Amino acid sequence: MKKYLSLLVVALLLLAVMPASAQDLIFEVGEGDFSWDSYQEFADAYDFSGQEVEIFGPWIGEDQELVESVIAYFEDATGATVNYAGSDSFEQQIIIDVEAGSPPNIAIFPQPGLAANVAADGGLVSLGDETRQWVLDNYAAGQSWVDLGTYANAEGEDDFYGFFYKVDLKSIVWYVPDNFTDAGYEVPETMEDLIALSEQIVADGGTPWCIGLGSGDATGWPATDWVEDLMLRLYPPETYDAWVTNELAFNSPEVVDAIETFGMFSKNDEWVNGGAAAAASTDFRDAPAGLFTVPPQCYLHRQASFITSFFPEDVELGTDVDFFYFPSYAEKDLGNPVLGAGTLWAITEDSDVARGFLEFLKTPISNEIWMAQSGFLSPHTGVNLDTYANDTLRGQGEILLNATTFRFDGSDLMPGAIGAGAFWTAMVDFVSGADAQEVADQVQAAWDAISE
Amino acid sequence: MDLNFENVINAVIAIVIGVGALIIYFFGSNWLLDNIFRDVVREDGHVEKSRESIREAIRPWLFVGPAIILLGLYLVYPAIQTVILSFFDENGNEFVGLRNYQWAINDGEFRQAVTNNILWLVIVPAASTAIGLLVAVLADRVRWGNIAKSLVFTPMAISFVGASVIWKFVYDYRGPNNPQIGVLNGIVQALGGEPQAWITITPFLNSFLLMIILIWIQTGFAMVVLSAALRGVPEETLEAARIDGANEIRIFFNIMVPQIMGTILVVWTTITITVLKVFDIVLAMTNGQWDTEVLANYMYDWMFRGGGDFGRGSAIASVIMIAVIPILIWNVRRFQQEEAMR
Repeated sequence: MKKYLSLLVVALLLLAVMPASAQDLIFEVGEGDFSWDSYQEFADAYDFSGQEVEIFGPWIGEDQELVESVIAYFEDATGATVNYAGSDSFEQQIIIDVEAGSPPNIAIFPQPGLAANVAADGGLVSLGDETRQWVLDNYAAGQSWVDLGTYANAEGEDDFYGFFYKVDLKSIVWYVPDNFTDAGYEVPETMEDLIALSEQIVADGGTPWCIGLGSGDATGWPATDWVEDLMLRLYPPETYDAWVTNELAFNSPEVVDAIETFGMFSKNDEWVNGGAAAAASTDFRDAPAGLFTVPPQCYLHRQASFITSFFPEDVELGTDVDFFYFPSYAEKDLGNPVLGAGTLWAITEDSDVARGFLEFLKTPISNEIWMAQSGFLSPHTGVNLDTYANDTLRGQGEILLNATTFRFDGSDLMPGAIGAGAFWTAMVDFVSGADAQEVADQVQAAWDAISE
Repeated sequence: MDLNFENVINAVIAIVIGVGALIIYFFGSNWLLDNIFRDVVREDGHVEKSRESIREAIRPWLFVGPAIILLGLYLVYPAIQTVILSFFDENGNEFVGLRNYQWAINDGEFRQAVTNNILWLVIVPAASTAIGLLVAVLADRVRWGNIAKSLVFTPMAISFVGASVIWKFVYDYRGPNNPQIGVLNGIVQALGGEPQAWITITPFLNSFLLMIILIWIQTGFAMVVLSAALRGVPEETLEAARIDGANEIRIFFNIMVPQIMGTILVVWTTITITVLKVFDIVLAMTNGQWDTEVLANYMYDWMFRGGGDFGRGSAIASVIMIAVIPILIWNVRRFQQEEAMR
């Protein structure tokens, strides 16, 4: 017993002397291309000395370090203490916290759908018209971002709750510039060009696309991104919006058309590395490898900005591999729609310092700090693009800023049983041989079954 | 780094407190019992027996009580709650009667899962037990038998997900023009065949390929238990049979198998229950796509994916529970019979 007691004492002592994790500022104030004046201005306007703010989000590990590197500037500017807690089961935890009446001040939602659920339970605090107007004025495709952050509250009235910060871009096609040069191909400007290029590659004896839909228990999701991206290129955004809420039935001709267009790319043995059977069973993380073989197994790979993490280690972004915007049809005249995802910040427990933190997120500097590191894109039009860590990120940031329409990943907006279930299965069945109408009917049937 | 360190310290503190509390409970409750029902000593020095019998009636509950409370809290209560939830809507608020079960019966994927589960139940326990028995009998007759047994047993130590990852590589498929990294396709190609995307081949073949993974894991368990049972077959009976001129195959079927029938059935039913709960392998390999859905995975889908539906998830869970009950009852009965025989 004595032995245990002494162990306990030692343990408690160790706890006591462990240093509080005070973080240093990662970039020195005043140096580099950062908008330091926005930082200075913010620091002069706010003083929250001695106050605390709790933030809860989905980021752990490296992402947690990154977000904390931004938070450190807020603490430095205002004197407030920010306690960030991350969890990989954020989705379950936030519901429990809100229901239990002990929410954090600010919650970082990875999907609008989840935030909308919490808002409907009366768990979110309105950000007000001023912030809403600010997003309209300062974000590219501002209306899209406002719409994505607007939900019905417990009384059923729409209000603005979600402030987007940190965005992922999905509408991009990866290619190896050297392979293009060798074969004499050019980066296509329109969807028509892209299709012509694919045909050209086949005619030259190559394979245009690498597609991989495998993702363990989420197999099929990469195909949903394809269909969503094509939906935005074939039909106006209103059609897309109606589709994700099922106002437009899943088995409508428009949706079937988008699925069939995806089939043009994925179900054509000549167009896909390994044939259609390989597309369905190849892991999405392995799929891009075909770009880098000699001779190349494929020339094109459509995947979101995060896929760079799964490129072979020695591949250098910008030189060994580059990307272009997944183009829109020239003849459709639908502008430049962009598909993406992102995190939205919402106030779950109101306080001055929580409001102050959202004000901080409006400053260019709060975006630039993360932009200069990795994995962060911003639709904020006031940021200095020079602060992006590399040309690849900068190029993706530019696609976001050029967007005329931004739409959130549709499967994330659909009810979970559809967007993270029936839709995936349908895409797998489709690529494995079923026809588009059949699988669309199947999803609509599942949708009917949940809304009974 | 210091985060991990903190975790370790927290774990140490938790262990110290936990073990300490148990020790205090054990000594404290016994001390209380002994003092409340203290022996009454009569004037003539005789100790009354009644107090002691009260003490001894209560004492077992001091030991078993916490376990029963915990079991009730973590097993019985959730089980009952699951059944109750299965009669409610997706949020568990509104009573909907049998609607969730009605939905399940009409749901194509649920029926698919039931069909697949039945296939799993028929094939996996039979194959694991048969192969396990075969290895147990044969391995004792060769010099490297122990090595063979160890090899067969090794997969038992691998988690289901780990095993799935291994087999994912076995079944891996690359396009016909690419070098195959999957063992199976490597063999097929070396023999001059066309590589196949194995786990997408319906109907049933892909389910069989998933079953092989579980058989691979469970055979070791069957082998170890059956091997021990075989040791219990008296050498004299085998000797006698040999003298009577029975060949090895007759000895196996007419003497060994009947003698260890009880053990075979226990192994069989244990694996059957494991199979009813099969989840990890399907989740990791296909997540029920390409028609490989099974009940446990389908339940998980409805319960936890994208917001979840408590009602339907619970209804599927209840179906699994109902399917396990007869096997459990049968197993317990057998166990009691064997106890009685001793």
